[in-house]
Amino acid sequence: MADAPIYRLEGVRKDWQSAGTRFTLDIPSLAVARGEKIALVGESGSGKSTLLDLLALILRPSEAASFAFQPNGAAPVAVGDAWAEGRSDALVRLRARHIGYVLQTGGLLPYLSVRDNIALPRRVLGLGDDGTVDALAEELGLKRHLAKRPGALSVGERQRVAVARALAHRPAIAVADEPTASVDPMNATRILDLFVKLVEGFGATAILATHDAGVVDRLGLRRLGHKLEPVDGGVRSSFWG
Amino acid sequence: MVAGLALRDFFHEWRLSLCLVLALASILAPMLVLFGLKHGVVTTMRARLIEDPAIRQIMPASSGRFEPAWFRDMAARPEVGFVLPQTRAIAAAIYLRNPAEAERAMVTAELVPTAPGDPLLGTRAPAPAGLDRIVLSQPAAAKLGAKPGTPLDGSLTRVVRGQSERVSLPLTVAGVLPLASFERDAAFVALELLVAAEDYRDGRAVEALGWAGTAPLGEGRAFAGFRLYARSIDDVAGLRERLQREGTEVRTRVAEIETVRSLDRNLSAVFWIVAAIGVAGYGLSLASSLWGNVDRKRREIAVLRLVGFDTLRCVLFPACQAMAIALFGSALAMAAYLGVAMSINRFFTATLEPGERICQLDPVHFAAAGLATLVLAVLASAIGGLHAARIQPSEALRDV
Repeated sequence: MADAPIYRLEGVRKDWQSAGTRFTLDIPSLAVARGEKIALVGESGSGKSTLLDLLALILRPSEAASFAFQPNGAAPVAVGDAWAEGRSDALVRLRARHIGYVLQTGGLLPYLSVRDNIALPRRVLGLGDDGTVDALAEELGLKRHLAKRPGALSVGERQRVAVARALAHRPAIAVADEPTASVDPMNATRILDLFVKLVEGFGATAILATHDAGVVDRLGLRRLGHKLEPVDGGVRSSFWG
Repeated sequence: MVAGLALRDFFHEWRLSLCLVLALASILAPMLVLFGLKHGVVTTMRARLIEDPAIRQIMPASSGRFEPAWFRDMAARPEVGFVLPQTRAIAAAIYLRNPAEAERAMVTAELVPTAPGDPLLGTRAPAPAGLDRIVLSQPAAAKLGAKPGTPLDGSLTRVVRGQSERVSLPLTVAGVLPLASFERDAAFVALELLVAAEDYRDGRAVEALGWAGTAPLGEGRAFAGFRLYARSIDDVAGLRERLQREGTEVRTRVAEIETVRSLDRNLSAVFWIVAAIGVAGYGLSLASSLWGNVDRKRREIAVLRLVGFDTLRCVLFPACQAMAIALFGSALAMAAYLGVAMSINRFFTATLEPGERICQLDPVHFAAAGLATLVLAVLASAIGGLHAARIQPSEALRDV
């Protein structure tokens, strides 16, 4: 069981409209093994974020022939069925426990201190302080900012807080959506390196969306197959692997 | 944990929170003043009517014959506030003189029977007991230069077989009524003194006072009239009808009572129409501003959903903030109301009696207003929160 993939998707599709264009995201087949580091590489508008949202259980697929999520030893969860049956609170609990998400920007609560922002997922789960928050702050160079509000930090610092928060509850999967898109290149490299290093340290699975193919080799990620093609009145994006 | 987060957000965004609190207070405060005025005016009006004994009085239109059983029966009725026998008007007069004020004129006062519970006396004067205590009306007291404790000479006259006779009796003033209570020269006395005066006038003996005459009447004496007060203004019409059915013609002020009651009804109707519009407007504005507040926080709630807030927590988060807005807003509105009410009441002090207020709300009204605000605010926000929880976090997060 321990070797069962953490995600196994077959025939998952998401349709949406944006600015009058119809988009389709197709995932004919996707399997992610435990502890793997996955990269979704593509231009903006290629559906990377959409796939991340599907995998992070915050977006309902239009169609899911099979969407098995097995974050721990327990039986796999049929995510497509859970959405279809409206069990959104069950999905919320799965996400809270097993997934950490680093958004492209923002996502920090302005009224909480950096420490409270990082500790938020732990508090939601009712976990006590086991030193993880401080360890993450140390690793990410946030020690001296812990008492500050996010508004007092630079964009790069805020993204490091977001990384810390995504990992604070030691999730099985850490998802990051171009976390360094709005950070200067030197900081961006450092943040991505730290992210992958920390995920490895926790033995978690990493899924990173980026438009920079260069990071794939540098960080030793597995790049998913991707195709973007115009179809009748819209765009179809496919990811597989 | 949710409440803590919600309040930290509430105080972090203190400018917006203050706006919402002020918006709530600015609608609630005038509503409270409106209700306070309605309640105060109507209460004062009713209290005055109920307290004014004259308007509750039922007077016999002509003299009749009322047996003791009739008085017992009347006194036992729940709609009767006070009833006492009254002797013939011609027999109920007494000459009063203040021996200490020689130059003062003699006063001929009508004798009015009284007893504890007399609404004319109320708490203004003690009911006189015995054959030597009297309560004077203000005009009589003024003419006699009398005040409580003043000894007076009283005298009664009669004509027996063509001979004019006179008896005098020493009296002590037990109290003086205010002018508003009784405007004619009158002496309020215990019924037994009135009965003694009538007996003397009729040529009968009054043993207690040593007055000679024919044999006194025994029990079962009938009276020519009565002093009758309904318990409340609402009982006057019923009592009047009952007495008319029994064949007793009476005079009442039902027409006046009906005028005031219809005024009260119409005034209430107008107030309720204004209030209904106000309450509806208040409810809509409160609900929409709080709904809008939740809508504004959609992305923030989506972030909370991202870190694992379930539907209940998403509903509780804005509901807690709504609770804070409702509590602060209500408190502010009530403080504003108290200030305005105090000014209004002070402005009208001249036309009010002590203890009366033109703008008044009872604690139960404050509680009702606060509770209604709280329930409405929480409900509107909770629905907003539910709505926010239904949106997929992904949509709200990307929608920047």
